[in-house]
Amino acid sequence: MQSARDTFYVVLRTRLAAINPARTIVLRGQVRPGILVEENELPTAFQPVDAFSLRWTATRVDAASPLPLVAMECQISYATDGTAANAGMDRGRLLAAMDGELLAALNQTPQSALKMNYSGVAATGAAAVPMSTNIFWSQPTFAAATSDDERIARVATVQVFSYQEAGEL
Amino acid sequence: MSIALTNATAPIAGRVRAYFAPVDRATSAPSIFDPAQSGTFPIDTPPAPWLDLGWIANFARKAETKVNPLRSGAPAIVQTQVRTEVEATVSLEFESWGKIQLALSSGSDQMNLLATATGAVANGSGGVAGTAVPLVNSDSTSTTLDVGSASANFAVGELVAVDIDYAGQTGYVGSGVSAAYVASAAAVNSDINYIRRVTLNVGRIVSIASGILTLGSPLLAGTPAAGMKVSPLTGFCDREGGRFFQEWSALFVFDGEQGDRVLYHYPRLQAMQGSAEIVSALTGTATGLAAPLERMRLAAAFRALPVTDANDSAQVVCFRSYLPGPMRAV
Repeated sequence: MQSARDTFYVVLRTRLAAINPARTIVLRGQVRPGILVEENELPTAFQPVDAFSLRWTATRVDAASPLPLVAMECQISYATDGTAANAGMDRGRLLAAMDGELLAALNQTPQSALKMNYSGVAATGAAAVPMSTNIFWSQPTFAAATSDDERIARVATVQVFSYQEAGEL
Repeated sequence: MSIALTNATAPIAGRVRAYFAPVDRATSAPSIFDPAQSGTFPIDTPPAPWLDLGWIANFARKAETKVNPLRSGAPAIVQTQVRTEVEATVSLEFESWGKIQLALSSGSDQMNLLATATGAVANGSGGVAGTAVPLVNSDSTSTTLDVGSASANFAVGELVAVDIDYAGQTGYVGSGVSAAYVASAAAVNSDINYIRRVTLNVGRIVSIASGILTLGSPLLAGTPAAGMKVSPLTGFCDREGGRFFQEWSALFVFDGEQGDRVLYHYPRLQAMQGSAEIVSALTGTATGLAAPLERMRLAAAFRALPVTDANDSAQVVCFRSYLPGPMRAV
């Protein structure tokens, strides 16, 4: 399941960076595309703005298939305060831009990608290993935008599917 | 090197894509799709002569082939089985509206609402058309129409029909694909614009320069033939009734998320219902405010007609091909 999560993150990161290369965040001293996986970062109550934050929630396994089919829910949170130059009055436009970027990245064909095993990347720096099946994902659903003082935020949810391959943990 | 196989799973995909190609009605010769040669084509760029008609919804195949037991003895015991009828139908809903989708879903001939002549008497499928504009200089292509100084009479955004004059022909008419059947000149009032009225050879002007009308997409019939003329039109019209049955070759592609693909090829599909639409509520947000809004999809239903498989001379109505995903067990 971890390989499916990692693959989805990398695919989404690559697509979002191609759509808007200017959307970046500084994370642990490094400038990166404006997307992160919450559980892969240091625990914090801080919500990054003008970036996408992925959180994996529900999981369901359909064992009836020749390979167990795993459905995982991914919540993608994003928020913006607008820009200081515009006194925050562009926060709606900036949120709409993030809506558009996320929709474009998720709807881009194909809505699937070859599953990659990234376990060696973190451990030894080895290259990711292609696996045998593809991950694929649903259309996203967008929750209502919420406002907190000058901050406006939204959560989009997408289901990511993958087959659990033989020997995969 | 040896690579382990992966268990093959049932294909999963969100939607089905539809492609249609003309049938030569005079000879009943369909467009044949060869999955062995072209099965893996990119979904957005089908091989010629297949036309991409976009995504479809509620694609339903129905095999109506009857298999009956053959009994003998007393008491009668089933000795074997026989196919007593071979039949199949297909129904679907087009996600997009266009000239060909309208023609396919109308079941019968589908008319172009040609711009009328001044003072034309009102008619349900459009009054008498104005004079068509001839092509000049023989340098027109499937996307550019050289009409010379007459280009001043056209506007960017305008729809046009491009075809020959009606000159007493009988039988199937229409360039690129048979659009209607003319029983007699009298039946169509010897209307010089009749073929342009029914033709599927239509386009939309996206620019005009130096006497050239540039179209947004290629004409179905390709480079215009000598004698073709251009008539502006405002839209399309079909009727419940009529004397014509649309017949096309069809290809439906179910593109699996695991790199697998299922192709359904019906070499000859003939319309089996009149024009119909399926109306469904528009998907909105949780507030339900979209409830009064509805979407109309063009509904089409077809009966499959037979062709002879060159491999074994079998009479069949449909070919289903499965291209497994990479390194899947078979």
